[in-house]
Amino acid sequence: MKRILVDVDRCSGCRLCETVCSFNNENAFGSSISRITVKKEDSIGLDLPIVCWHCNPCNALESCPTEALERNEEGLVFVNEEKCIGCEKCLETCVIGAIKLHPERKTPLICNQCGGKPLCVEKCPTKALTYTETGTKQPRPTDQVIEETLRRWRIIA
Amino acid sequence: MPRCYGYAGRILRINLTKNQVKIQPTEKRLITKFLGGRGFNSKRLYDEVAKDVDPLSPQNKLIFATGPLVGTAFPLGARFNVTAKSPLTGILGDSNAGGHLAAEMKFAGYDQIVIEGKSRKPVYIFIEDQEIQIENAKHLAGKDVYETTEAIKKDLADRTVQVATVGPAAENHVLYAGIFVNLARPAARTGMGTVMASKNLKAVALKGTGNIKIADPRRFWKIVEEIEEETYAHPQYWPRRTMGTTRILMLADRLGFLPTRHFTSATFQHASKVSGERLAREYNVKNRACFSCIVPCSRVYVIREGEYAGLHGEGPEYEALSSFTARVGNSNLDLALKAVDLANRLGLDAITTAECIAWAMELYEKGELTRKETDGLELTWGNGEAMLALIEKIAYRVGFGDLLADGVRRAAEKLGKGEEIAFHVKGLEIIQADPRGLKGYGLGYAVASRGADHLRSEPFVELSDDPEKGVEMFGVPEATLRLAHKGKGKLVRYFENWCAIIDSLEVCKNLAGNMELLPFDRAAEIAEAVTGFHFTEEAMFEFGERIVNLERAYLVREGIRRRDDYLPIRFLKEPLPNGNSKGAIFEMESMLDEYYAEREWNLTTGIPKAEKMRKIGLEYVVEDLRRNGIQIE
Repeated sequence: MKRILVDVDRCSGCRLCETVCSFNNENAFGSSISRITVKKEDSIGLDLPIVCWHCNPCNALESCPTEALERNEEGLVFVNEEKCIGCEKCLETCVIGAIKLHPERKTPLICNQCGGKPLCVEKCPTKALTYTETGTKQPRPTDQVIEETLRRWRIIA
Repeated sequence: MPRCYGYAGRILRINLTKNQVKIQPTEKRLITKFLGGRGFNSKRLYDEVAKDVDPLSPQNKLIFATGPLVGTAFPLGARFNVTAKSPLTGILGDSNAGGHLAAEMKFAGYDQIVIEGKSRKPVYIFIEDQEIQIENAKHLAGKDVYETTEAIKKDLADRTVQVATVGPAAENHVLYAGIFVNLARPAARTGMGTVMASKNLKAVALKGTGNIKIADPRRFWKIVEEIEEETYAHPQYWPRRTMGTTRILMLADRLGFLPTRHFTSATFQHASKVSGERLAREYNVKNRACFSCIVPCSRVYVIREGEYAGLHGEGPEYEALSSFTARVGNSNLDLALKAVDLANRLGLDAITTAECIAWAMELYEKGELTRKETDGLELTWGNGEAMLALIEKIAYRVGFGDLLADGVRRAAEKLGKGEEIAFHVKGLEIIQADPRGLKGYGLGYAVASRGADHLRSEPFVELSDDPEKGVEMFGVPEATLRLAHKGKGKLVRYFENWCAIIDSLEVCKNLAGNMELLPFDRAAEIAEAVTGFHFTEEAMFEFGERIVNLERAYLVREGIRRRDDYLPIRFLKEPLPNGNSKGAIFEMESMLDEYYAEREWNLTTGIPKAEKMRKIGLEYVVEDLRRNGIQIE
């Protein structure tokens, strides 16, 4: 399936992906209501966008006590807001930490790929985000990506 | 609170003496007269920090503000201004920075944050939406900018919180300490960090979960798409992305206005060794950007070998790089990067720090300072190790550093020598561009409301050296020739007004200004699309007029007159000795005359005329000045 891929060397950490995502899906600009989140560490110059991979199997979906997380025909994980009790179990179990709760609705914000034309990818100023066919590949753990990157930049030996 | 478009709609006041917090609505009157950011702040300072307030007393106020476009996907950066009466200059103090703090402030729900009084104990403020906590900061005392930022993130157990902090230089009352966000992005000029520390306030941490709605999304996206298209096709796009402002160093050297060895030369024989080009080739590993900006002009460097191997950080920009290389005659790039890193961690303004060091070096080279007076430091041109030692001495006010910690004007007064080579205007040290080789900029330093500084006007079109542009914009061909002096009054007035609205919308001058992506008409359009208020091109120009004149009035109330609008004597009397601007001097009188005439200020006093002030809705200021015993024509 097609997924949003991240090139950590290219990401400038501008968070435009967060703002366009929030506007496209929630009609307002705000990082707290975006479905993509840029992890930032100024001391090492790191900017790493984190967005749902729609893993199969998905730990978050399987751990949901009320079965509020479901998978649609295209393979995308989504939340059934009526069933969600806001217990945050999915936040803990997602392997890449891609889920956060909407600050008012208290239900998970999960990337919907904007119906096949993700705006974050279209607007990314450095082409750090791409929308690519990835088959059944699994996401790489965030910590591993960060460590490799810092070695490549020679920020750690 | 009424729901606002663009603006957050709230102003926060925190009184540290009384431990009191007040939240007020952002008034429509304030918006329609002062736009946002710098405009809001200058208005607040004029109204609330009267003449005779000691800048380091609890009566001074530290004011943060951001603009209506900040927090949206508007792609030209997201900045804030921080304003107070300056301890360095004694007049209007104001500084501006990018990064990610401004957007967080909007998400937390504030257009402006006013900090008043003085805490009894060291504290930091944590603002999370409408919850304001004043936290004990005893454990942060003496910690540098990096350590403080990290400690606060650990305290709050949150990596996403945005922190504005001061370093030890501010706590030691160095008069030019800055406020730092995202570690290496300072609002550095005019000692705003010193004011913050004088309130026993170490840092402000912000977290916002709110969001921004806009009035006319269709129009917004249409303008954004136009800007995107122009930006990606712009000839400056790749040079900026590769080098940021450090690309200026080679340009300044080639055109002959690169201040070298304290303005005794306009070219630096080692320029290429300390250039942005060399950083890009050998040091930089990636780019970074401010919130929602589409030109990632900031760079992360890593030193790969030698004494400083492993040193890494964000930046530097042209001013800091050029300050710690050409200005002091240092040709060792690694040492310069170390100096920038040190100044950032200790919390100093790099420009002022380097001027103080270069000033001392010139005196030392002339034999007017001896090793006895400099704590044994050999202050010869280019002695990088001595420069590093002095940066620390300044930050901790140790020995000779104590003299320099008050800025170059006071240092010369105290030492009783070197006054004619203390390069400042109104107490603020001159930046890294020789005014003799760039006359519009020079006039800008002379009249800028915060003292010698280019960011109040930045009339970059004179770098085009294209007389047709001068005719088209001002009816004067010389206005856009960098070595000519005619037409500069018109040029500087126009660009001052432009910079005032860029600073009030709180976007980036490099993009909005230098890359010409936000001219007056487009500024009006986007402000209208975002806020729903009606704005025109003419109204935008008038915002600029109003803000610049209000700031001038603040200076006038503090006693500033024409005599204070002069550049140091070297620029007026000594022709540039070398390079592509060789022989140029600065024609001060005629340029000031023309500028005052353009501004409708009195020619002999430099005080704005009453009629002018009335036209732009500043009658109350005229009355206030008269109450202060000032005669107005």
